[in-house]
Amino acid sequence: MKHNGNINGNIKIILLSGLAAMFVFSACSSAAYDTGRDNSGNNSWDTGGYNSGDNSGYNSADNSVTTGTQQTVDESGEEVSAESAVDFDHELDTYEPKKRAYNFYFTYKTVHPWWDAVALGMEEAQRQYLDKGITITYEYMAPEGASAEDQIQKLHTAQEKNYDVIGVDVADEEIISPVLDEMVDSGVKVMTFSSSDAAEGCKRLAYVGNTHNYRDGADLTRALCEKLGYKGKVAVLVGSKGAPCHEDRAKGAEDTIAQYGDMEIVAKEYDMDSVDLAYDLTMQILKDCPDLDGIICCNMSNPVGAARAITQMESHAVIVGMDHDEEALRYLDEGVIYCLGVQDCYSIGFDTIQTAVKIADGNPAGDLYPEKKDESTTLIYQKDAALILELLYGEI
Amino acid sequence: MRDKKVTNKTFVMTAVIGSLLIMTLVTVKTLRFSKQTVMATDKAVSAVSSFYLEAMADRRAKTITNLISNSYDQMEKAVDFIRDENIGSQEELREKIGKVKGLLGLKRFALVDEDDVVYTQYTTYTGRSRHPFLTDGQLNDRIISTVSLYGSSKQLFLAIPTPDLYIMGKHFKACFVQYDINDIVNLLAFDDNGRTYFALYSENGGNLSGTDLGPEIADRNLFDVLKDIVPDEVWAVHYDNFANETEGTLSFAFDDTYETLSYVPIEGTGWEMAVLIRESVIHEQFRDISDNNIENNRNLIIFTLVSAVTLAAVLLFMFHSLSRAKLEAEKENSNALRNMATTDSMTGVRNKHAYTENEALINGQIHSGELNKLAVIVCDVNGLKHVNDTKGHAAGDQLIKDACALLCEQFIHGAVFRIGGDEFVVLLQGKGYDKMDDVIAETNRMIEENIEKDRVVISIGYAVLEPGDKLLRDVFERADQMMYERKKELKAMGAMTRS
Repeated sequence: MKHNGNINGNIKIILLSGLAAMFVFSACSSAAYDTGRDNSGNNSWDTGGYNSGDNSGYNSADNSVTTGTQQTVDESGEEVSAESAVDFDHELDTYEPKKRAYNFYFTYKTVHPWWDAVALGMEEAQRQYLDKGITITYEYMAPEGASAEDQIQKLHTAQEKNYDVIGVDVADEEIISPVLDEMVDSGVKVMTFSSSDAAEGCKRLAYVGNTHNYRDGADLTRALCEKLGYKGKVAVLVGSKGAPCHEDRAKGAEDTIAQYGDMEIVAKEYDMDSVDLAYDLTMQILKDCPDLDGIICCNMSNPVGAARAITQMESHAVIVGMDHDEEALRYLDEGVIYCLGVQDCYSIGFDTIQTAVKIADGNPAGDLYPEKKDESTTLIYQKDAALILELLYGEI
Repeated sequence: MRDKKVTNKTFVMTAVIGSLLIMTLVTVKTLRFSKQTVMATDKAVSAVSSFYLEAMADRRAKTITNLISNSYDQMEKAVDFIRDENIGSQEELREKIGKVKGLLGLKRFALVDEDDVVYTQYTTYTGRSRHPFLTDGQLNDRIISTVSLYGSSKQLFLAIPTPDLYIMGKHFKACFVQYDINDIVNLLAFDDNGRTYFALYSENGGNLSGTDLGPEIADRNLFDVLKDIVPDEVWAVHYDNFANETEGTLSFAFDDTYETLSYVPIEGTGWEMAVLIRESVIHEQFRDISDNNIENNRNLIIFTLVSAVTLAAVLLFMFHSLSRAKLEAEKENSNALRNMATTDSMTGVRNKHAYTENEALINGQIHSGELNKLAVIVCDVNGLKHVNDTKGHAAGDQLIKDACALLCEQFIHGAVFRIGGDEFVVLLQGKGYDKMDDVIAETNRMIEENIEKDRVVISIGYAVLEPGDKLLRDVFERADQMMYERKKELKAMGAMTRS
């Protein structure tokens, strides 16, 4: 996870994001994180985050460290800009598709703005293919609430149709992974994307998304601990039970807290990706533990619900959380939330379509696309909030 | 009344002075008028700029309003078209949506089914979180909103309910289009040489169009900028105007730069169209106009002056030409009259009057001593009375003419005068004086021969100016005396005389 730093007056997304990608890419060779899941040693490319392909285990010798002034530097000492949190400047690579038209099906965990950002990256890739004379059509479907059963139903329905590739953001790795294996065995080309990969050993052909959820959870927690002086009571809010990304982050948080003797986890709750439930859970935690010092939020809805409750209860608990929900960014701007980990959803969407085209053409993972394509996460702080708000949501 | 004589000089002076006076008055008047125009223009700048900007903002706002109105109409027609197509598959639906999108020139045209699934030309997606209007449940009326695409430009979102639309057995509840505000801005842009700036704002002053409202405000939030440069009460008034979707105008200064900003609401959108102009630009524009006027007036004055001078010169030239022609004519008349007065009508030589004028002139020369060679030859035609009496006056006249001819032939370098009926005088000076003796001798010889031939006989006596002579008459009398002597001599030779 990159930690954000300085904000310049002008938004120079393209250049800075490119530079940031170069910095981090150059850091990949010495990446020292292990999510605990990504140790297969398969082809694993890194386009901005950390190389989860190595299996060196969690290593505090992070190549991107958070300083006491909330600035982020990479291992070469270069500061990383908040503008590089999301890379909107993408161009298709030089691969020449074999067909003139492709039809894909994608299903993701739940209807949520996070995946809308992924969709915009997909649409940009689709537009660029269209400029090259290649028509990409696809469905991008999700249930109202995260549900592995609903996802299985959607996959079975899609399997009956002749899609070139079916992409899945795994709702529950234990339940969905076997289904994906069956589909692959029956000849369906299946890939995973966005926030959650399938279980280790799943036969899916590739994954494009965050491969370092464990580390994201650990980085957020370390920022919180530093803020609290490595002492205090904290709660952990998680999203959907079984969702790999949420669980991995929670694991990273728990392991990090465990490193500090004066830190204590007093509660761990699942909001099932519901802001309202996150609010209710936080209210209850605060009632149970009024002197709560911090909350670690592992998904997009957690920090919003937690911030609402903290505000209402006038608690001084420090919130760290994931993602770029607009309300969460406003709480960050107001100082209610201490820091947020912003994933590059746009790049995830763009790269997903590119990878799907190559899979559809029958190319195996390897030279043309990695078996796991990592996307970056950037920690942003209060000073970055206005810029990111303008960048992602604009001022209306 | 005493009449004053108008001379050419008076006329010219009057014309020149008058012209200059008129030109001066015209020049002063014109320059004064120009200065007054500039001052009046400056005073009017503020008022004019407000009207000017309001008109510009209003015109642009109407363009957007028309775009929205037309879009709704087109969406209704598009839905009718799709409804009539009896679409049976998703592929067919995508094709029809693409056809409509192409016909309407839209970047995004979509239908929404009862499950909030959005259908576009290339994608089908669950849209409740992406499109806020879908979270409101039932859609009963048209929707206008502004959306900001994640990391992209802001867009105008228009939706209509489609209560009667069923496709593939499923109810479709809405249709929407999205316009990139950058594209709308391109519709509004026109080249005014960078004199004005415009931008679209949300109700909280956020810049929607991404266009710079001048170099100072640029694309920042309008009210964030104005907070530092206008009084709080002024700021509050305009902030409320934006919130209440009303129009307004304000002027403010950035350092020494004065700017005027006008804004008008765009109906139904919550937007305000703002147009800004730097007053210095207005001043410069009006000053340019004034300078042009002054320049034109100056040119007009110069042209008028040159024209007047040219006209006066032409008139003077014509006047001068006319005067000279008249003068020459008078001179010719005068010469004719003079010739008539000094020429003998019968012989064509000068007459007694001419001789008298010459006599006065010569007397002056004698008196001043500047004349020293002068001979006077007095001639008298013999037998004129006899010829008149015996042969008639015509013969007599002819005799005189013959005598005159003889004298003119002989005294070719002398001035011949007929001073009486049969009397001639020849005055000799210069060359005629020098050859006088020979010519007289020859003439006398011819005359003597004429006696026998019965031709003209002339008695010639001559004398030269001598020291002591005071008048021509003195010389004349000596010559006249000699002429009488010669007459006697010729009579002795047989020539006819009066007696």
